Amino acid sequence: MALTEVNRPLELPVSPLANRRGLRAGQRRTGILLLLPAIAVFAVVILYPFLKALGLSLFRYTIEMTAPEFIGLGNFRTIATSGEVWNAFLVTAIYVLFTTVGTLVLGLGWALILNQPFRGRAVLRSFSLLPWVLPSTVSAFIWGWIFNARFGVLNAILLELGLIDYPQAWLSTPQGAMLAVVLTKIWLSIPLFMAFFLAGLQNLDREQVDAARIDGAGNWAVLRDHVLPHLRPVLIVVVVIGVIGNLQQFDTIFALTGGGPVRATTVLSIEVYKQAFEQWDIGFASAIGVLWVATLIAPAFFYLRMLVKGA
Amino acid sequence: MFDLSSRSAKVVFGLCLAGIGFFLFAPLYWLAISAFKGNAELYRVVPTPVPLHPTLTHFVTALTTGKLPMYLTNSLITSGCSAALNTLLALYAGYSFAKYRYFGRQPVMLFMLSAQMFPFGLLLISLYPLMSNLGLLDTRPGLILSYIVFALPVSTYMLYSYFSQVPDELIDAARADGANDFRIFHTIVIPISIPPIVTVFLYSFMWSWNDLLYSMTLIVTDTKRTIGPGLLLTYLNEVNSDWGGAMAASLLASAPVVIAFMFLQRYFIQGVTAGAVK
Repeated sequence: MALTEVNRPLELPVSPLANRRGLRAGQRRTGILLLLPAIAVFAVVILYPFLKALGLSLFRYTIEMTAPEFIGLGNFRTIATSGEVWNAFLVTAIYVLFTTVGTLVLGLGWALILNQPFRGRAVLRSFSLLPWVLPSTVSAFIWGWIFNARFGVLNAILLELGLIDYPQAWLSTPQGAMLAVVLTKIWLSIPLFMAFFLAGLQNLDREQVDAARIDGAGNWAVLRDHVLPHLRPVLIVVVVIGVIGNLQQFDTIFALTGGGPVRATTVLSIEVYKQAFEQWDIGFASAIGVLWVATLIAPAFFYLRMLVKGA
Repeated sequence: MFDLSSRSAKVVFGLCLAGIGFFLFAPLYWLAISAFKGNAELYRVVPTPVPLHPTLTHFVTALTTGKLPMYLTNSLITSGCSAALNTLLALYAGYSFAKYRYFGRQPVMLFMLSAQMFPFGLLLISLYPLMSNLGLLDTRPGLILSYIVFALPVSTYMLYSYFSQVPDELIDAARADGANDFRIFHTIVIPISIPPIVTVFLYSFMWSWNDLLYSMTLIVTDTKRTIGPGLLLTYLNEVNSDWGGAMAASLLASAPVVIAFMFLQRYFIQGVTAGAVK
């Protein structure tokens, strides 16, 4: 099937017709015409809001004001001295670090397991993708119920195992709430990471692995010397996509903890939302958003470079 | 790939399989069985691993007395329309990027793709006043249009990488026969591109179906609300938390995407991982 063959785009063969000047200009016009609808919508719902937010970060603009008032870098000065915003950056860093590393390890592990032939593997693969397609509110419900202080199954299991002496109010403590939002995100991202790793494992050179085995390489040596080096490009893709996604995560955190207790799980997305739609301080929210984009530039740059290479 | 003939290898493999498998599937199992437990059984300090008295009460309540059917319908309308619009836009744009050469093609494409790094939350800050000025705040068309944000860049790229593999000879042959470009695209290219088109549709449908943030912010009227905020407001609000209802409603709300996904997952995975894995 054509979809699976990844070829470089072919250069248009020079047919006698294509050489005619008028036809080529006509095709150029057709190409642009086909692109126009997407570009128009893109400009309205993505580009304009983006530029507008960049601009608004230089203004004082709250809901009570009739027009924005230019204050230069005033918002950024406020941010520099605001412990709350710094805290949001710190919380985001912790959240992104733990979710990305956690998903990477478990996603890779699960892909390696599902790459081994065993009975029921196909079914297991299909069902493994489920967490990924569930609505984010549903994921939050599932984990909220598991972590429930009074009737949660987590407390029941830990009590049974003797790991805790009395039920914990997980979502009411800073560490417990962070644990819950991190686990939820890891859980729902494992399928995507697994899919990428499985796709990468498909074109691993088996003969090379077999040859290494004949030379006496054990499982660990095969993993370290062949499988992981082979997966390096996929690994980079997955980390970049993971970091971009985790930096943006809003839904499950908002539904599970609302950013609390106090500000323990208030990541940047929650902070921006609260400033914009609870405080209605649009200028300040935009300024935080601009710094947020700045944190995304590095991973996005790698992502684009990869795509360009891939295309 | 790994040699599992030795005893220790078997044990390590089995432990990893059980461990990660438990983490992935136990929460799903817990969701499924909690939905079938009555309140008496649900609210016990020591939970029962299987429902002792399975009941459909929560499903019946969710479907008859709650607003769930309304939220589901709203989600179906907005996600369906948005996915259709998104697929249509990405279809023409992806084909244009793949099969035409014109000034600025590559920079425009890269720019569109780089939009992935614009956080949805940041865009929402100015989407909100924009929709308000356009008179689209608290309307379905406004939400449908805003949902384009989620998937358009990636959808365009997915279709671009598919169309790049459609042989140029196919198009040139039709051109030599005198067919114009629009006809070639609609009668020759689209019919052989159904799997990636369905993938892109499902991809964008999933994003909107799963959304909480945009719907919560851009929709105020309860009768237009979608399932994301709808579920949250109905089942876990300040005054009460109805976990049994939440679990049953969760199952019902997940069903459409899960069913569609089960049928189409092969294409779906190929589409999403395309380009990233060589």
